[in-house]
Amino acid sequence: MIDLRLKVDPLPIVEPLVVRLLDQPVDNRTEHDAIILDIDGDRREYEYHGFSFTVYARPHESLDGDVLLVLPGQASAHRLIRANSNHNTFLVTEQCDQLCVMCSQPPKKYHFDLFDQLAIAASLAPRDAVIGISGGEPLLHKERLFQMLFAVSASRPDLRFHILTNAQHFEPQDAERLVALGSDRILWGVPLYSANPKTHDRIVGKEGAFASLERGLATLMRAGASVELRTVVLQQNWEDLIGVAEFIATRLGFISVWAIMQLERIGYGRMNWASSFKDTSADFEQAARAIDIVTARGLKAWLYNFPLCSVPQDYRGYAPSTISDWKRKYLDFCDGCGARETCGGFFQWYDHKEGFNGLGPI
Amino acid sequence: MKASRVLQIVPLKFRPTDDGALLFADDAGGYFKADQDFLERYVDDSLTQSDHRFLDVNGHAFDGVGDLAYSGFEYRFASRLYSPAELDYVILVPTLRCNLSCGYCQVSRVNETTPGFDWNGETLQAVLRFLGGLSTKRIKIEFQGGEPLLRLDVIRHVQAFCRSKFDHCEFVICTNLQEVSPEAWAVLEEPHVFTSTSLDADRATHQAQRTKNAQKTSSFFDNFDAAVNRLGPNKISALPTINPTNPPPATAVIDTFVGYGIRSIYLRPVNHQGFARKRFDARSSASSWNRYHSSFIDALIDFNWDADAPLEEYYFTHCLRRVLRSGHNHHADLRNPNIIGYSYVVIDHDGKFYPTDEARMVSRVGQFDLSMGDVFSGIDRDKIDMLNSEALNNFHPDCVHCPYQAFCGVDLVDDLSRYGRIDLPKHLTDFCQRHTYIFDKIFSLIYSEDPKVGKSLAIWSGAPRFDSSFAKVHR
Repeated sequence: MIDLRLKVDPLPIVEPLVVRLLDQPVDNRTEHDAIILDIDGDRREYEYHGFSFTVYARPHESLDGDVLLVLPGQASAHRLIRANSNHNTFLVTEQCDQLCVMCSQPPKKYHFDLFDQLAIAASLAPRDAVIGISGGEPLLHKERLFQMLFAVSASRPDLRFHILTNAQHFEPQDAERLVALGSDRILWGVPLYSANPKTHDRIVGKEGAFASLERGLATLMRAGASVELRTVVLQQNWEDLIGVAEFIATRLGFISVWAIMQLERIGYGRMNWASSFKDTSADFEQAARAIDIVTARGLKAWLYNFPLCSVPQDYRGYAPSTISDWKRKYLDFCDGCGARETCGGFFQWYDHKEGFNGLGPI
Repeated sequence: MKASRVLQIVPLKFRPTDDGALLFADDAGGYFKADQDFLERYVDDSLTQSDHRFLDVNGHAFDGVGDLAYSGFEYRFASRLYSPAELDYVILVPTLRCNLSCGYCQVSRVNETTPGFDWNGETLQAVLRFLGGLSTKRIKIEFQGGEPLLRLDVIRHVQAFCRSKFDHCEFVICTNLQEVSPEAWAVLEEPHVFTSTSLDADRATHQAQRTKNAQKTSSFFDNFDAAVNRLGPNKISALPTINPTNPPPATAVIDTFVGYGIRSIYLRPVNHQGFARKRFDARSSASSWNRYHSSFIDALIDFNWDADAPLEEYYFTHCLRRVLRSGHNHHADLRNPNIIGYSYVVIDHDGKFYPTDEARMVSRVGQFDLSMGDVFSGIDRDKIDMLNSEALNNFHPDCVHCPYQAFCGVDLVDDLSRYGRIDLPKHLTDFCQRHTYIFDKIFSLIYSEDPKVGKSLAIWSGAPRFDSSFAKVHR
């Protein structure tokens, strides 16, 4: 497992600090850079504005170009950007206005505003990086979020963002800002669980959510925004998948991709596993038909987080490796599997005893 | 019971089908089947709650302007309209000379030795200046003729210029493959060079229609064999031209193409232009063509049922996808509005610009002058823009009643070529008759319950299986 937090010797700071770790000086040097002085086992000492800054990491792990967030008085730092990974995500808030049955990151009441620090961190990212933005619900802090997006877009036009949002908080007047940011720069990941408003509202735990989502999606469409529509398959919406496919075909022809996703067994997803997990290795039919429908309509469908051996052969081409490197594991029988190279495997917190029934090497 | 919710229903057009039902479709290409009773309720404004529910789910209704259903409909409608992109595709005719004299030659060729039908040095330089002024970074150049391999020197000049000027170049050489010199093979084998040729069904048909004698026929098939082996089936396309009054058996065409490993067959009827209109009775051939085409599609469906590698008829696949999808506008033969003279142009042997190859032929036989300037004095679109302003089916008094309008297009150059006018009632035109047939055929297959049909429709629509929900019937 890859560490997203690193032990540090606490710094005498009163404000959160963003630091980029460098193994040697670079051309685009910034005031946020710390240059390595010494490595001794898992202890690495950096020079930062004349002070010593100590980080602990496994000996062979590269930290070159990584960006850390150090909070006052804390002995561990958040590894905001791993320079050699494509899976860097900023958790901008833990507040949320929905309470989804499968939530992997259950919401918290309080918000700690780190947008300024995150904007700095983004500006230190490697060239052409894609930065994920997640929550909670990032658009609960819409003005701060847009400020950050505009600031980073101005200083780093090469960066792109993948922002997960429930799309409850877009207003028609936001279209202008969305256009100004550019449709190529941001991919909005928006969940839709059912074309039946009641079912969707029940799954996300918020009455009227479907109606707000429709308005939000209409705004995104009018702004020409890029949208990845996301549907986690559950026992609760399994019979609605074809309805979602047809909803996409009639109303959401503008989306870039439809992601049909398997459940992540963490957070509420773990709590509700028995009543929510749909074993698609035993019954794939609704997902197959949903893919058949949108594909013939000329739209792209992908299966996210489906181990390849859980997918019938004709649909394996729709199942790319999507589980982030730091969350991924493989099972015993994966050792003998010819498809392991292209398979995304399982979430670290997947429990095979309660999981898919029909798996095995392919 | 009458509906309580106030839904707005989009306009529906309808057409009887062979099974006694009615096919309904809207302006954005949404469709379904229903019966006469539904039609009467629709006309009487007495739709039931169940009608409304169906129309809502199937995308034919909305609550208010700007809501998601409305916007989604708008998006589908707008995506079906063709909007020309920047000029990035140029068809070049460096010579009209040809070493074959096919009975239906579409382009009014001249004999191989006839002087005065080639680009001279000034024409070549003017063409290069024109290409040099384009803003695109990617260019597609298609060499036609005559036989363009007779002017390999021009091909090489243009290639060298384009490779120095554009980031990405693609060249298509439309050749009869009758005589291919070692130097010509070297050009055809280069990366990003594609070969397009004609292969009329089988040896006998090809000889009867094109090569005339056994020796020339052998030269062609030897070269074609060599081309498939040296270039690979992905770098070569072969179009069979079909004479609808005396067509080859579908199985003969299929066997030939399968033998060469070519999986996409683009059947072309003899084109009623150039010399073809003098020799063939092509003015009223639509019905015989449609019959043949329909039987060919049925033969493909039979073939695909147990074939390891399936086949398609290119244009049928295109039309099927235009039924199912919005924004499927890449084929120049079927667009609405069909704006010509912008995203691609033809430069003839004398340096004149034409909006399409067909416009060049219409002009060549003296019906109309559809040229639009020349490479020496520049593009002049005045005349073509007059034609463009009529090249739209959305408001055409015949097309507005047709459920196929959203899938279909217009071809005014074809109308001019055949009838000398663009205002013939649409149903009397070859274009309308051929496309009405093809969409009738498509819907008869979409609503078929034959698993063989389903298998081919899946392949042609690009999906693993063809879903039954595409054959909605509202009762």
